[in-house]
Amino acid sequence: MKRTVVIGFLGTTLDAGKGEERWSRWRPTVALCQHEDFLIHRLELIREARFTALGNVVAQDIAQISPETEVRTHEVNIRDPWDFEQVYGALHDFARAYQFDTEAEDYLIHITTGTHVAQICMYLLTEAHYFPGRLLQLSPPRPLSGSQPGSYSIIDLDLSKYDRIASRYRAEQVEGTSFLKSGIETRNLAFNRMIDEIERVAIRSKAPLLLTGPTGAGKSQLARRIFELKKARHQVPGNFIEVNCATLRGDAAMSTLFGHVKGAFTGAIADRAGLLRAADKGVLFLDEIGELGLDEQAMMLRAIEEKRFFPVGSDREVESEFQLIAGTNRDLNLAVRDGRFREDLLARLNLWTFRLPGLRERKEDIEPNLEFELHRHANEDGRSVSFSKEARRRYLDFATSPEAEWSANFRDLGASVARMTTLALGGRITEDVVKNEIYRLRAQWHTAGQPSGDDFLAALIDTEKLAQIDPFDRVQLAAVLNVCRSCASLSAAGRRLFAASRLKRSSSNDADRLRKYLARFGLDWSSVHAGSQSN
Amino acid sequence: MIVIDGAAGEGGGQVLRTSLALAMVTGQPFRIERIRAGRRKPGLMRQHLTAVLAATQICGGTAIGAEPGSTTLEFTPGKVRGGDYRFAIGTAGSTILVLQTILLPLLQAGERSRLVLEGGTHNPHAPSFAFLERAFLPQLARMGAEVSVKLVRPGFYPAGGGRIEVEIAPLERLLPLHVPLRGALQRTHAEALVVNLPGSIGERELVVIANRLKWSAEDLKLRTDKQALGPGNVLTLFLEFATIIQVLVAFGEQGVSAEAVANRAAGVAARLLKVDAAIEPHLADQLLLPIALAGAGSFTTLALTSHAKTNIEVIRRFMDVSISAMENGEDLCAVHVAT
Repeated sequence: MKRTVVIGFLGTTLDAGKGEERWSRWRPTVALCQHEDFLIHRLELIREARFTALGNVVAQDIAQISPETEVRTHEVNIRDPWDFEQVYGALHDFARAYQFDTEAEDYLIHITTGTHVAQICMYLLTEAHYFPGRLLQLSPPRPLSGSQPGSYSIIDLDLSKYDRIASRYRAEQVEGTSFLKSGIETRNLAFNRMIDEIERVAIRSKAPLLLTGPTGAGKSQLARRIFELKKARHQVPGNFIEVNCATLRGDAAMSTLFGHVKGAFTGAIADRAGLLRAADKGVLFLDEIGELGLDEQAMMLRAIEEKRFFPVGSDREVESEFQLIAGTNRDLNLAVRDGRFREDLLARLNLWTFRLPGLRERKEDIEPNLEFELHRHANEDGRSVSFSKEARRRYLDFATSPEAEWSANFRDLGASVARMTTLALGGRITEDVVKNEIYRLRAQWHTAGQPSGDDFLAALIDTEKLAQIDPFDRVQLAAVLNVCRSCASLSAAGRRLFAASRLKRSSSNDADRLRKYLARFGLDWSSVHAGSQSN
Repeated sequence: MIVIDGAAGEGGGQVLRTSLALAMVTGQPFRIERIRAGRRKPGLMRQHLTAVLAATQICGGTAIGAEPGSTTLEFTPGKVRGGDYRFAIGTAGSTILVLQTILLPLLQAGERSRLVLEGGTHNPHAPSFAFLERAFLPQLARMGAEVSVKLVRPGFYPAGGGRIEVEIAPLERLLPLHVPLRGALQRTHAEALVVNLPGSIGERELVVIANRLKWSAEDLKLRTDKQALGPGNVLTLFLEFATIIQVLVAFGEQGVSAEAVANRAAGVAARLLKVDAAIEPHLADQLLLPIALAGAGSFTTLALTSHAKTNIEVIRRFMDVSISAMENGEDLCAVHVAT
């Protein structure tokens, strides 16, 4: 049985009382320890510095009437106990510093004493799981019933009947969602809504989660952040175990996941616990779950449903209780139809499915993510790097333009920022660095060999303007510019470009036609040639 | 395994304490089920747990289910060892009730014991220290037991903080006790103990006793105790007969006048003085167990309380002993114990 630990404020009014008279008063913190059916093993008594004497009286009286209870006093610095910010701050610090052991101890947060502000803060911190416990509320005895301890009630905020009360306090949830987004202030409405939902699910549910979405959309990071959020709220004492199922092949897959016993097969020279057991009381993230073999899928289903499974070669079942987060960039429904994925396993995973959109679907989030990546590199490299104003505009214009494919999503963005910060001189990312980076990204996304000619265009035309040119026209413009650059003069280029029609015409105005064509795109002969030289 | 129904008869803590004492003395494990079933707060309370822990401590036994609110307890006794023990009882719970659990086992431990018990010494619904010292232990002494007790500091509900010290000399076997008659009334006196409260409370109580029972002034004493932690008041009446002393108590309560408290005690005393029975019901309850362990004994009392009847049932589960009660009218019952 777990030990009962109560955390509460010393009531400077309610717990006060001088002389023997105090024994006939109802003093909540003392009464707490007077219940015949309620044994408190430890009382964490929080008090302000100026109430030392009262604190000592209360502690002594508790020692007298409840020798089973250990009283620990915590002095906090609160100048004004009616100041929400101070009280919340002090209690928040207390909760963060306190070594909660939810495996061995049952925490009750006593809210009968302390100012109303303190009570509200205790409530909020409990609701947000900073205090991983239940609320404890005392009531005084009926009048004339003598020095009885009154009654107590324990309130579990996780019960659904309190959901409506709890939902009024959003502040902590905002902290949770911001945590899930690594502090990135994302602007995409759909994405933000999804993260809100994940935050709620992560805090309340132990059911499996399925994260879908293209490669590089951040499934793995999100899974880790979900685990860290749960850990911060004292919901998982265990570890975060991550494995990419695509790396699990053949016989080793089974034993990697489920473990084996010594001698289960050649080479099994010792027992191996396996990843499922390593994730006991924690979170197991199986990325690319679509790559899992059918046999492993069957075992996994049982492990999720029964929380038990057989290690390879063992006839004794072992237990592991983990929350599963699965990731996939495949359409698992298709895989089910093709017989490559178990329908019942998908049904089990499908309770909470979240599709992470690719970067192209979240254009408004590119800027905040760019900021985040810059900070991250600054932290890792120990030097701060920033864009020049022009360079930043140019990069963002390109990054949010339709031609930016971001085919590997955040992985591409991360790599792009890494390159630019590396090439930045004096901590400054210049327009030149950005220009080169845009070439590089284009080249990367066009390796399939489409002759787009966009390279030429980007060198000559503003990204903004370029974005307004239909791809239909770009191909032609690129071809025209290509010819221009190989010719010595406007006329020479005109002759080559209009070679077919000039044979049929009486008077030739090839140079003029070409000049007018270029002017439509804001270009002239000299700028076209200057562009070619700068390359 | 002996299985005891914790909801039978008066049930509650008494069944548990008697069972624990018998288990240790006879070396038999037992399981008690439905502890205090049907009460508003069922299961073990903290004062019961203290008794269980005290028992496991003196005999090195094991107890499964020793948790607040637990409705089942399994107790396996070990060999009882005398020695120095200290037990602190929470919620100002009765030190005397804990002593009641371990006293007889320690008597038979084969070595001397010194106990310090802290908590309540004067609790309603429990024997008070005066009862222990003046009514119960003298009868136990007649059975051969050398037990001395000392009240270091009284403790009342709710503050507790009382302390008693007990010394127990080892004893091979208790002797039979026969109390057919109480003998002539030799002396009556009253004592009002008032701590951390106005002394006038005790004075008013004693005035009632003087008026109703016509006891003389030199037999009425007002006492206080500077050592006591927390307020308390108890009025104790002593009826000293040739063979036994009857000790009656009434507790001062918030919201009850001193006169009402004293009248309650005086009413009981007046009734007891009229009957012929040797032993008043509370003492009869307490003596059943030592007499059963002695293997023989007898006494007359008032009609058996349901408390006493439950006690007899529990004793029969642990020991092959015959206990008969012959009621003769409303106010006389002859109890015989034989093996």
